[in-house]
Formats: sequence, C-alpha cells, structure tokens
Amino acid sequence: MRDRRPEGVAGATARDGEASLGAAFVLQWVNELACRVRDQRDYLTQLDAAIGDADHGINLDRGLTAAVAKVEGMGDEAPGTILEAVGTALTFTVGGAAGPLYGSGFRDLGKALGSKERFGPEDLLVALRAGLEAIQKLGAASVGDKTIVDAFVPALAAFERGLRAGEDLPAAATRAREAAEEGMRATVPLQARKGRASYLGPRSMGHQDPGATSTALLFSALEQAAGSANGLAGERP
Amino acid sequence: MIQSVHRAALILKELGSSRRLGVTELGERLGLAKATVFGLLRALEAEQLVERDDEAGKYRLGPAMLQLGNAFLDNHELRARSLLWAESLANRVEEAVRVGVLNGRRVLIVHHVFRPDNSVQILEVGASIPWHACALGKAMAAYLGAERRSELLEEDLARLTGKTVCDPAVLERELDQVARRGVALEDQEAIVGEAEIAATVFNHAGAPVGAIGVAGPVERLLGDGPSPHVVAAVRETARSLSREMGAGRLSARAR
Repeated sequence: MRDRRPEGVAGATARDGEASLGAAFVLQWVNELACRVRDQRDYLTQLDAAIGDADHGINLDRGLTAAVAKVEGMGDEAPGTILEAVGTALTFTVGGAAGPLYGSGFRDLGKALGSKERFGPEDLLVALRAGLEAIQKLGAASVGDKTIVDAFVPALAAFERGLRAGEDLPAAATRAREAAEEGMRATVPLQARKGRASYLGPRSMGHQDPGATSTALLFSALEQAAGSANGLAGERP
Repeated sequence: MIQSVHRAALILKELGSSRRLGVTELGERLGLAKATVFGLLRALEAEQLVERDDEAGKYRLGPAMLQLGNAFLDNHELRARSLLWAESLANRVEEAVRVGVLNGRRVLIVHHVFRPDNSVQILEVGASIPWHACALGKAMAAYLGAERRSELLEEDLARLTGKTVCDPAVLERELDQVARRGVALEDQEAIVGEAEIAATVFNHAGAPVGAIGVAGPVERLLGDGPSPHVVAAVRETARSLSREMGAGRLSARAR
C-alpha cells in the first residue's frame, strides 16, 4: 500500500516496484480473456463438437460475460478478491467440466494473492501455481491427458523460467503464452484420458483439446494485460 | 489353428485402439514376425474385418466390424428390453439415461438416450468406465456375492477425477449404503461436473445383470442432495425393467 498511484498508470517492470500490479491489471486480464473467448466462441465450440458436448465456447462465453459484469465495479477491491469473484461466477454460470475447473482455478489464484492491494510478478507466479493446483486437484489430470493441464503446465514453467532469467513481466508472459499455445497444439495427436472425450478412445485423436485451447487464451490475455501495464509505465518517467 | 485365431483377435484389438497401423508396427506390438502378421491381415481383409488404407498402406478395422458390433447390441437382452424404458425415463426427468453391464472391472455402456433438449451430445454406447467411478458400476457391485465383490474392491482403483473414491474400505461402505438405499450415486467421480443416479436391474435368479441411470450436471442431479424426483423415477424404472428381465417381485430385493 506504499504505492497509491492511480491504477493503470502504475506499471509493471522488473526493475521498478516488486509490487506494481493491482486491481486494474487483473480486471484487464479478465476483460481480455472474455473478449478472446467471445471472438473464439464458435471455434471453441467447434473443437468441442468433435470430442465433447459442443458447448465449451458458449458456456465459457456466458460465464465470462457474467464474471466481467460482476467484477466491473470492483476496481477498489483487492486483486485477489476480484479473481475470487471471477472464480465463483464461473463455477455457477459455466457448467460442464469447465465451470468447476476454471472456477476453482480462479478462486485459488485469487486466494493466493490474498488481500494485498498490490503484487509483483513473483506473487503472480505463486498464484498461477495455486490455480493450476486447484484444477489438478479437481480433475486429477496430468500432462498428456489432453486437458487444460496440457497448456497450463508448460505455460507456468515458461513463466517461471522467464522470471528466473531476469526477464520483466511482459517478456515472461509472452513466453508463457507461447508455451501454452505449443502445449495446446501438442494435444492434437493425443488420445484423451480424462473427461467425456476419453469415452471416444482412439476417436479423440487428431482433434485439438478445447480446454487446452481456452487455457492458451487465458495466457494470451495475461500477456496483453502485462504488456499494456508495462507500456503505460513506460510513458511515465 | 487356435493360436492364429487368438493372434487375429489381438490384431483386431490393436487396430481398435489405435486407428491405423502398418504391418511392421503390428508385428512389433504383438511380437510376431512380419510374414505372420501379413498372412493374418490378408485373411481378415478377405472377411472385411480389416481394410487397407490406400494412401499409407496401413490397416484399420473394416466394415464387417460395424455389423458385428450392431449384432452384439441387437442380441443384448438387457439393451433390447431397456430401449422403451430408457426413453420414457429420459423424457420424464429430462436428462440423459444410460444402461450398463459389468464387463470385468469396467462398466460397458450398452444403451444411451440423449438428454431430450436437442443439444449436441456424444453417443456413449461402447464406452467402458471403471466400475468404481460410476453409479452404474456401484449399483451392480452392491448386489454381487461377497467373493466377486471383494475381487472388484481389490487392486486397480484408478483415479479419474479428484472425487473418485479409490479407498476400498470407503467404497465398501458405500456399496452397503447402495444396497440399503436402492440407488447408487456418482458425484463427479468419472467426469468433473457430471453426476449420475442409478439403480440395479436383476434377472430371474435375483442376480444383478445391469444398471440403469440418469446422468447429468451435478448441480441439477445432486444440488441439494439427490433429486427425489430422479431417485424415484430411476428406482421405478429399474424395478419395471427387472420384472421384464424375469425378476420376481421379491428378487428385485430391497434387502
């Protein structure tokens, strides 16, 4: 709370504050995710039609629309509180497997940030890890099962490598997005071992997993939010 | 020769689990000489049980397999008798209905009626689910003899989700409860977000021959405890189906 600069102006660079991210950053992240899911809604649904109930895009879009509406006016709240609210909204509005999985992921992400008003890239790393753990606790999936986890695990590892190598948040977030997309593409030849897709046996091979695809959008949204947080900071001496 | 029948069956199963394979790949997987595999494939191809992919020269299952699969379903007594009951159960509760039988340690879905809401759904007939992760499996296991039951409780209780019950002692208590309640419940134990309420179908000898269940989103089926409406509908349907399978009033036991 030492830094009370207006949100959105406060930037995220590796060198300036260790705790330069706040409510505006997480709100932008969620907004960017909602926009991407809306744009890709039909594509996600099409992917899901091949190996699931053809509702992934529609359900996620509905849930994120509800989540955005819920947190819109929460700019004065702690970032963790906002993400927890996103999680709760997703749990109750998305349905299927994606609702509980993304819902608990966001909730634990938010919980990990706690009531801090500002946080840094390291806190974000810890929180993302907590989110992944919640998803894995619920779904018991590992890399290679053709799920969200296939994109999330490599993204998190790449984000951590970036930070360890001394990169700033935008650069680490770009690495994370690239790794998520690579993980997403790697689900194509896999045979699903979790969820309804696993009932299809070998028929699930040759299709990209919709969950891994929406997780890649999550990291693309994070990259965008990290980049603009940084850009704005750069404009200010 | 019996050995070649066995080998031919192994080839069909390999092809069934991996789309298409070449002669060399098949030979490596089964530890057989290429010439042996090729000979078997030729015989299977003549019966249209396998066919060759023109482009890659690889083999995949042939059209005769579909006819055999359909014949299996058509000849399945429980499935045949459950068709109308399952349909009317699905309409009554407005959710999907599945009928399954125990096949080793897994439940084989032999009939699936879609949730009657015109949404896109995947046909689950042929899906094979670990018995302990689904309500259908628990409904059947609850009424098996002590020996078969403890066999099922031994080893290989895989975790499908964070909610799958993998502890034999906990599962055994749950099976006792199933027998008392007359329905088995599944709370996201096979798929996150999915629940099922199932009841056992008995034959003339009072043995469990299958189970019928209503599957759907956990919040609708188990939201504030098991939906009484669905529980009642599932129980009634299983009782009627059991009678049709020859079970007497007493053998559809609520012991």
